[in-house]
This record gives sequence, C-alpha cells and structure tokens, in this order.
Amino acid sequence: MVAELNESTFDSFIDGNKKALIDCWAPWCGPCRRMGPIIEEIAAEAKDFAVAKLNTDDNQSIAVRFKINAIPTLLVFKDGVLVQTLVGLRPKDDILRIMSGI
Amino acid sequence: METDIVVIGAGPSGIQAAIYAARRKVSTVIVGKPSNSAAADAHIENYFGVVGPVKGIDLLGNGIKQATAFGAEFVEENVISAERDGKLFIVKTETGKEYTAKSVIVATGISRVKLGIPGEKEFIGKGVSYCSVCDCNFYKGKTVAVIGDETEAAMSADLMTKYATQVYWMTKDPKAAKALVDRALLAGVVMRDSPPKEIKGDGKVGALVLEDGSEIAVDGIFIELGAKSAADLVMDMDLMPEMDDTIKVDAKYATKVPGLFACGDVVGKPWQVARAVGQGCMAGLSAADYVKGAK
Repeated sequence: MVAELNESTFDSFIDGNKKALIDCWAPWCGPCRRMGPIIEEIAAEAKDFAVAKLNTDDNQSIAVRFKINAIPTLLVFKDGVLVQTLVGLRPKDDILRIMSGI
Repeated sequence: METDIVVIGAGPSGIQAAIYAARRKVSTVIVGKPSNSAAADAHIENYFGVVGPVKGIDLLGNGIKQATAFGAEFVEENVISAERDGKLFIVKTETGKEYTAKSVIVATGISRVKLGIPGEKEFIGKGVSYCSVCDCNFYKGKTVAVIGDETEAAMSADLMTKYATQVYWMTKDPKAAKALVDRALLAGVVMRDSPPKEIKGDGKVGALVLEDGSEIAVDGIFIELGAKSAADLVMDMDLMPEMDDTIKVDAKYATKVPGLFACGDVVGKPWQVARAVGQGCMAGLSAADYVKGAK
C-alpha cells in the first residue's frame, strides 16, 4: 500500500526524501482510479525515489498551494522542491522516464 | 425493467449485436442515439454488398428497423450509468429508465474528447478540465463554463452549480433529455448559444472567447462532449479500461467481467463499419449464449 499523506505529514515527506512522487487524487475521480494501480506498481518497484498519495478533497490547502485544479495530478519533488507537475492519466513508462530524468 | 441483454450504443456494432441477440430469442434492449454514431455522417462505399456511397444514417435506421423487427427494444437515449449488482447489471438512461440485465454489451464507439480550439491544450490543468466530477471541488466560489450539447454537459453544468457561483453552459443545440436540461436551468445555469472560439488567459484560464466576438470571464472551462464514455461506464462495472481507453476482449468479445461484452470501435482500430458489424455479430451471439447458460 502506498502511504497516504495529509496536511501534517506532507512537508516532512517531501523534505525527507531526495526524490518524491506524489499522486494527487480523489475517490470519485475515474481517471484517478485508473492511476491508482499504476502508482502502486511504481511504488513497489521504485528504488531511488519515494511514492505517496494525497487526497485533494481532504487536503485542500495543499491543492491550493501547488495550484492543483485538475486530478489526477502527479507532483514530482527533488530535494523538497517541486520540479514537475503532470496533469492527467499517464502510462507507467512515462512516469518512470520522468522520474529517472530528474 | 428486467431484460436479458442491454446493448449500450446504437452504431453499426451495437445494432448488429442486438439483431443477433434478438434472433437468439433472448430479450434485448438497445440504448443509444444512432445520430451520435461515427458512422452517421459517413458515406459508406466499402461495405460488402452495399453499392455506395450510402449515407451512414440510412444504414443505421435500417439496422434499427431490423433489430426491432426481430424483437429488440430500441431506446433512443444516452446511458448515464451502468453498474453491477451481484451477477446482474443495472443500466440507467437519461430520462430515468432503468434496466436490470444479465448481460451488457458495450458498443459505445470512441467519443471525441477534445474541442480543438486555441488555448485548450495550453490550459489543461490550468483551468481546462475534461472531468467535472473529478475537478468540481477546485472551483468553489468561481465562475465556470461547461461546453457540450449532450448528457454529460447537462449533468456537469448542473453539478457545477453546487460548487461555482456562476455556471455558463455553452450549447447551441442541447441534445440531452429535457429533464436534464431543465434541471440544469432550474439550478441557475445560464445557457449561451454562440460557439466557443478560443480560451484566453495568463498562466491560467481567464476568459472564453465566443464566435460572436463576445468574451466571458471564467476561471474554469469544463469540456464535456457527448455521452458518458465507455471507459467511465466499464469502470463502474468493475472493469479497468486500457490506457488508450479501449476495452480488452477475448475471441468471444467477452471482457474479464462475467456477462460484460464489448465490440466495435471501443475495442480498438481499425475503425471500420465492416469490422464493427462482424464484432457485433460475435458479441451478440456470445452474450446470448452467456444468458442462456445463466438461465
């Protein structure tokens, strides 16, 4: 299971990992439900980056902070800094390529 | 209402599936609008035995006559939801008709998603959305425009009134059921009939420019063309679509979900009437066999 972040755990997670991939989602979002298993697979295989999920409905301040207004959105952090925002459903290979490129 | 099979989609594949299923003497309901089929506007001249070009809409009309003559019930409406209930499927239409079926054949075709106007691509995730159910929450207290003529647009416009303070619905020719249109209007949606021409903004969506030259200041634009997509429909029936929104089927056009079949453009390319019809035949027979086995 991929860890679920919230407003109190988010910052320590992105600061505590050199590279982090955050899947921003909400339960009623169809494309998010499709992204879910892809993120689970990536998390199980990821060696040099951390993966977590963030429910944007329950954690709206983070959605506002990172200007998220469509989900699924993947936030990619390096050294605690946002380096990529990927909007919409993405294939696994695309995500892995982006993660290896940062 | 109870039935053996519901076919979702009234294009060549769905109609052919309904013809074969009905001739196997299983009760069959076909739900969909032939005018929304990709074949409707086509001039067909490469289909066996038909010396063309013939109008797609004429072939579809003939097909519906055949299907109903063989006993299928034709419901010219969009499906707004389909879900599983144990071994059965519950399919609901835009006017509130509800069918409980042993089997469902998804023959929705491929729906157009993108509008193709300047600014659309640039502002994806910056105010342009293709899923109001997903993104409604980000537009509390904002002004939004919903674009589309069909059921998804009507339902999205209605939904957005619960979040946004002002909702415009851009439609020249609303084709959704009157009850859905009326519900949206009653909720305060403002309809505009000039087609959208361009999306403008500075880093994020700021305005929608219309063909008549006017501009509407908006924070969000929801592009909701057509009916509920096959990908969304099958997910609610416990099937995960492929990444390209197609549905994976076996040689009998069965999906991994027992009783759920798919045929036509929605299972992949090439998007040809002849292929769609052949697949519809197979899916109709397979679904009929499934239903008879399940009896």
